[in-house]
Amino acid sequence: MNNIHTAAMPAPALKRMRASKLNLLLFLTGVTVVAILPLILPNKFYLRLTNEIMIYGLLAMSLDLLLGYTGLLSFMHNAYLGIGAYATGILLIHVFPESLWLAIIGGVLITVLISAPVGWVQVRTGGLAFALLTVAFGMMFYTVGWKWYSLTGGDDGLMGVPQPDITFFGIKIVSSGDSFGIYYFTLIIVLGLFLLTWRVVHSPLGAVLEAIRENEQRAAFIGINVRLYKLIGWMMACGLAGVAGSIYILYRGYTGPGVMSAFAGAGVLMMVLLGGMGSLWGPFLGAAVFIFMQDYISTMTEHWEFFVGLVVILLVLFMPGGLAGFYGIMTKPRGE
Amino acid sequence: MSTTILSTRDLSRYFGGVAALNLVTLDIMDKQVHSIIGPNGAGKTTLINVITGQLEASGGKVFYQDKDITKRPVHDRVKMGLCRTFQITSIFMGLSVRENIRIAKQAQAGGSLRVFSRRDSLQEVSKATEEIISRVGLEDVADQPAKNLAHGDQRVLEVAIALAGNPKLVLLDEPAAGMSPTETDQVSELIKSLGREMAVVLVEHDMEVVMTISDRVTVLHQGGIIADGSTQEISENEEVKRAYLGTENWAPLIEL
Repeated sequence: MNNIHTAAMPAPALKRMRASKLNLLLFLTGVTVVAILPLILPNKFYLRLTNEIMIYGLLAMSLDLLLGYTGLLSFMHNAYLGIGAYATGILLIHVFPESLWLAIIGGVLITVLISAPVGWVQVRTGGLAFALLTVAFGMMFYTVGWKWYSLTGGDDGLMGVPQPDITFFGIKIVSSGDSFGIYYFTLIIVLGLFLLTWRVVHSPLGAVLEAIRENEQRAAFIGINVRLYKLIGWMMACGLAGVAGSIYILYRGYTGPGVMSAFAGAGVLMMVLLGGMGSLWGPFLGAAVFIFMQDYISTMTEHWEFFVGLVVILLVLFMPGGLAGFYGIMTKPRGE
Repeated sequence: MSTTILSTRDLSRYFGGVAALNLVTLDIMDKQVHSIIGPNGAGKTTLINVITGQLEASGGKVFYQDKDITKRPVHDRVKMGLCRTFQITSIFMGLSVRENIRIAKQAQAGGSLRVFSRRDSLQEVSKATEEIISRVGLEDVADQPAKNLAHGDQRVLEVAIALAGNPKLVLLDEPAAGMSPTETDQVSELIKSLGREMAVVLVEHDMEVVMTISDRVTVLHQGGIIADGSTQEISENEEVKRAYLGTENWAPLIEL
């Protein structure tokens, strides 16, 4: 039955179907590897590193939604991870020390609420002006984190964040501070949000965002309210970054103003470029390469930034589409 | 007789102190091909830009179906059925031809806020997309990215995107620019057939096209209207000949 069906399909469609089967297989393999990693890894250090890769992968993916799908460049998307982390942490300390879920939901909500007026200003611009505004707002948020001692702990960072048990409808699933449990908690949330975002970019809404990326003028002249949809794309990206921030504070139990620095923002952008924008999964690989490289090189020299920069330059020169672009070239059927 | 679909009243647009458009009062009739001609710099594209909302009017008003739309944003006007093409091709280069038309159709038909469904779940949109693809004859390249298309096909796609908006009035800014004679013939046939279904405003330098398919012609010169009438009246108008004198488009006008 299946064979009759495929035999009737034209060759390009058949190739596309094979390609999508391969993609699905690789995706499932990747998830399985990440899922069994804690069982085979020798020490906790790599567990924490992989956990961090998942969190920054989520952040890089949310930037990809903005950059690769809506065509808007943010140099400091990490600001919204920072806001999510601080907001969740502050809620845990002062408001919900017992309820992680309420703190996370509250933290993400605060991130989205802050991103709305910022986005309202942002979407009035495009291109270079948009990118510069992200830096301007990012620096303001950084300064708030750095200087508002009573709320954020200033340059000491936010300390003493409680790590309550993770419960699910009253049943305790992860004990306080259990890095093994937090790893799987992260994996489930990141995986869920990846699938959700995948769904969104392939929806009619995703088509609108792509149209804006390709040609804003034409998008307006087919009847799209460009500013409104840019704002929707922006707030979705900031909300996802806020979730990444919530998990970040949970996994670390601490955050400092450093996560909101322009330097960290450039790192997130590099993860997206390394992995390949416009793919959603590429940024996860980009985050893996970047964080692993940063960790590996920093054991050999304290000037690791220099070498990370060098590797990024080489990759951008010789693999301009990033890892996702490279994969696309390798799996493309000949003659297409 | 046909009814007025769009009118401008004393419409002006200044760039610095220069009037690119000066007190233009014009009525566009439904189901007609209405050409706007004039020497380079006459204000033709500026007129289209102000009518469609690409540029703000410095003075005067635009009425569409008796509603004042002078201050309406672009996307509102498009949703009301006011669609256009651009002199410099403005399409979604990175998207396939089919997706170019499909997204234009989706923007017009609605469903853009469906976040969790597939794009092809909008079945009416997909169906209408295929109809437009076959109407303009882009079936063979429908799966190609728009950037891979030959210039002529890109110009046709430009028109197809405008048609996907279900226009009541479509403004075509030099649709045949850079086309081969065969392609020009095909596109003028298409424009002529559109003129039976909707109001068409055509800006075109190819006088042969203008004189063959227009129901009415307005001549702009230095931002103002110097003549308005049938093709016959325009080709006999002395002031029009003087305006074109010495320009590259002068000769073909005299021939007609």
